[in-house]
Amino acid sequence: MLKIRFHGRGGQGVKTSSRILGRAAFLDGYIAQDSPIYGAERRGAPVVAFTRISREPILERGYIFDPDIVIVVDETLLDDERARPLDGVKSGGIVFVNTQSEQAQVENVDDKLFIKYSITDAALRVIGKPIVSSPSAAAAAKITGIISKESIIQATIDELSELGLAEEALERNLRLVSEVFDTIPTPQLKILNGETTPREVIQLEYKGVIYEDIVNVGNASLRRVGNWRIFKPIVDYQKCTGCMLCFVYCPDSVISLDAKNKPIIDYENCKGCLICVKECPLHAITAVREVKIYA
Amino acid sequence: MREVEMMTGNTAAAWAARLADVDYIPAFPITPQTEIIETLAKWIGEGLMKAKLVQFESEHSMLTAAGTASLAGARVFTASSSQGLLYGFEMLYSISGWRAPLVLVNVSRGVAAPLTLEPDHNDVLSARDSGFIQLHAENCQDVLDLILLAYRVSEDKRVRLPSIVNMDGFYLSFTREPVRIPSKEIVGEFLPPYTPTLPFCPSRPVVKGASVLSGSLYTYFKHNMHESMIRASEVIDEASRHFEELTGRPHKPVEGFYLDDAEYVLVMSNSFTTIGKKAVLRLREKGVPAGLVKLVMLRPFPAAQLARLLKNRRAVAVFDQNLSLGLGGIIYSEVAGALYNERKRPETLISVIGGLGGKYITMEEFEYIFNLLQHPEKIEPGKPVFLFRKDELRAVENTIKLAGVV
Ligand code: SF4
Ligand code: SF4
Repeated sequence: MLKIRFHGRGGQGVKTSSRILGRAAFLDGYIAQDSPIYGAERRGAPVVAFTRISREPILERGYIFDPDIVIVVDETLLDDERARPLDGVKSGGIVFVNTQSEQAQVENVDDKLFIKYSITDAALRVIGKPIVSSPSAAAAAKITGIISKESIIQATIDELSELGLAEEALERNLRLVSEVFDTIPTPQLKILNGETTPREVIQLEYKGVIYEDIVNVGNASLRRVGNWRIFKPIVDYQKCTGCMLCFVYCPDSVISLDAKNKPIIDYENCKGCLICVKECPLHAITAVREVKIYA
Repeated sequence: MREVEMMTGNTAAAWAARLADVDYIPAFPITPQTEIIETLAKWIGEGLMKAKLVQFESEHSMLTAAGTASLAGARVFTASSSQGLLYGFEMLYSISGWRAPLVLVNVSRGVAAPLTLEPDHNDVLSARDSGFIQLHAENCQDVLDLILLAYRVSEDKRVRLPSIVNMDGFYLSFTREPVRIPSKEIVGEFLPPYTPTLPFCPSRPVVKGASVLSGSLYTYFKHNMHESMIRASEVIDEASRHFEELTGRPHKPVEGFYLDDAEYVLVMSNSFTTIGKKAVLRLREKGVPAGLVKLVMLRPFPAAQLARLLKNRRAVAVFDQNLSLGLGGIIYSEVAGALYNERKRPETLISVIGGLGGKYITMEEFEYIFNLLQHPEKIEPGKPVFLFRKDELRAVENTIKLAGVV
């Protein structure tokens, strides 16, 4: 059985990635299982999705703790304490990282193989938008070495049509899927050790009454969200008249005003929604592509 | 549409309602069940189904409408989960007392507080005494098949009681697997049209669910419902034999896995059974005579079948994904009751609580259970064992520290 785990952020469509891959395997005659995990997440919060592919009935469900392949759709998750995308990857397993690399690079790190490539830039080139769900599935499919191009294309058509994608957008997605599938190499997957480190079972102790109360309230501001950006809004202060519209429209209130009412953006927390870019009547704010904001 | 499709448990449930050609779907959204209703609404909008779907202002009204429509002669499908089921709870007893043979899908989710979205079975088991037949699914195929089976049995004139089909939230509701969709012809042959007894009809008045205001009348009717529920067991056997003839898929009320020579047996239900089976295979590789009993039918409770399957075993553990606070596992007590009059009952019967709020159960935890079965002297008899791991405890303690709990 091959186990693939996708890590992305809410809104990037990793559930769709896991589904496209699952359906492609199914079309190629395998037994497949795909599922996402989501709680009360919002856009931008780390999310995970899974695909299992097997010739035999799959006697597993839920979280994949010991993936053969991990697809990191958003590179900034590598440093996220909660996401921990590399946890449990089998020795000899493969990690795909969507990073600022125009060419597919392959390198060995410790006992794992890393493949680096920018599907975001490929998407911007082909679709004109940073759509990463379908190309992530294509990358995963190619890395498995057992999924045909025909099936990944068909699966993309099936899944995206189900989501109600328009003809032209679908066409571009297919071009992107095809391109990514051709670009990504298929390295030999040599799982050296399939066993995970055993986890110790314990008995819960009786400890008196424990309340579910949260005393340390209001700590959300400690969580910086600037890493969610794909584009950075940059103000041209020559053009800006200080009309304050961007300040009003920013949904996250990360724009403050200086003495002359000129906007100052808190880049540690600007999520890159680009509403300010759209709203500025003088087109004084431009969007600039960026990858890693801070570690 | 392909004969086999990748689909979630929720989609499989919607497919069953579509194949059963239901007439009426009263609805109210709740995670993780909503996708069932969304799918049905979409199909109705596209003209693929003829049913009428109505969204209510609460589960209580939804279930009231479901029961009364069923009495009027409509084949009714509805679905809920967790707090939603509990909000409509009062109506469950009414629906069964009215003898309204509808099918309700419950997508299991732990009951708040504390709030969670992932599954355990306190929600569905709270309805165990209500007069609903209960069938619990292990995988997405079961979801589809058991709903069809439920309609056939519920509507049977020898039974005339409603059914709940349970599937786990997330582990089935949002998980896609290949599911075989039976043809319209096969379903038509398996499930005859619903012919209600004395349906509501303007030209012929009838009172249903009348007040009896008398203990003897009440007991008489309750005894009769109990008898019908017991009879449902035979009707399920009969229906599932027919279903197997038509589709090749057997659905027994109680299923054994590697039971023949098993000395150590784990009893469990629902989607985690899949993982339990893997554990049994692993133990077999290590030479441990392990086996598993899967409970599909929780009501009527298959006490006799269980006693037959569990007698002469060395040790049995009951895995409860539920918790009756102050008692322990609900199914453990029921299994113990079923075994009491069996003279060759296993000497050791262990209660294990696991998977509350969807807590994942690892191979190590399953192996731990089988270890206890081989060395029961390590624990206090009858006291439930709570499965937990050190790595989980560390994470929990960390969270509690962050929350600032004093
Ligand atoms: S991009 Fe969005 S979050 Fe960032 S400053 Fe502009 S409006 Fe605010
Ligand atoms: S909306 Fe444009 S012009 Fe107005 S304050 Fe913001 S950047 Fe300046």
